[in-house]
Amino acid sequence: MSPEIREGDFVVISKIPFLIDFCVGDSIVFHHPQYGTLIKRIEKLDDQRQLFWVGGIHPDSLDSHKIGPVRENQIYGKVIWHIRRS
Amino acid sequence: MFYRLLDWIDRIIPFARAQAHCDIPCGIYDPITAQIAALTVVRMMDLMKDLDSKAEISKLDYHNSMSRYIAVKEEHAEKAKHEVRVIWGDYFKAQHLDKFPQTNELVHKIMELGSKVRQTTDRQIGEQFVEAVNEFAQIFWETKGIATKRAKAPYAPALELVYPLL
Repeated sequence: MSPEIREGDFVVISKIPFLIDFCVGDSIVFHHPQYGTLIKRIEKLDDQRQLFWVGGIHPDSLDSHKIGPVRENQIYGKVIWHIRRS
Repeated sequence: MFYRLLDWIDRIIPFARAQAHCDIPCGIYDPITAQIAALTVVRMMDLMKDLDSKAEISKLDYHNSMSRYIAVKEEHAEKAKHEVRVIWGDYFKAQHLDKFPQTNELVHKIMELGSKVRQTTDRQIGEQFVEAVNEFAQIFWETKGIATKRAKAPYAPALELVYPLL
């Protein structure tokens, strides 16, 4: 379980391309063919900003070492608001 | 307040779900299940040998017991392989493999021995299987910075297992 985003939390994501400036540390929601819809934090991105390496805060969390980099066209949006359950 | 409002809307028009983690249960890995399974293989080999040396047992009972031992041996050889594959595939990351470059070769050896113990009743092969899984357990605990000790299992066949020092 990610200690940052917990079961039941809500997040609001921005899908507006020109308003999104992806940076390391941002959380993104994306589609993975095997794992479905995931939310992860950007750890690294390439110069063209088309490939994103993601990870979780938990050391055992699934990350790009396992799932590979995320392509821009897999991304639904960037988390702009995190509403915690408590 | 916002949470309650969103929760209320979510009950009426469910929002899309995103997973923040991917493995369930996340981060729970322990090679002890593989070690016990490998140990069970050797135990079954011993029981098979004991049964084979019994003269007074009926043919029917012999086949009944022997088939059960073989089935358990098959099952646990496969279980040990499965558990090792899961840890290797889901837990081990590039940095672990860089630090312990012998891991891939060791896992392959375990896969081979796991198949071999199903084809044979040679106890030495069974012992090699247990030892290979022990080596894997030792590497696993070292990746977590946890020291280990070797001790004889407190049950037959009482072979040495690697345990974490917690």
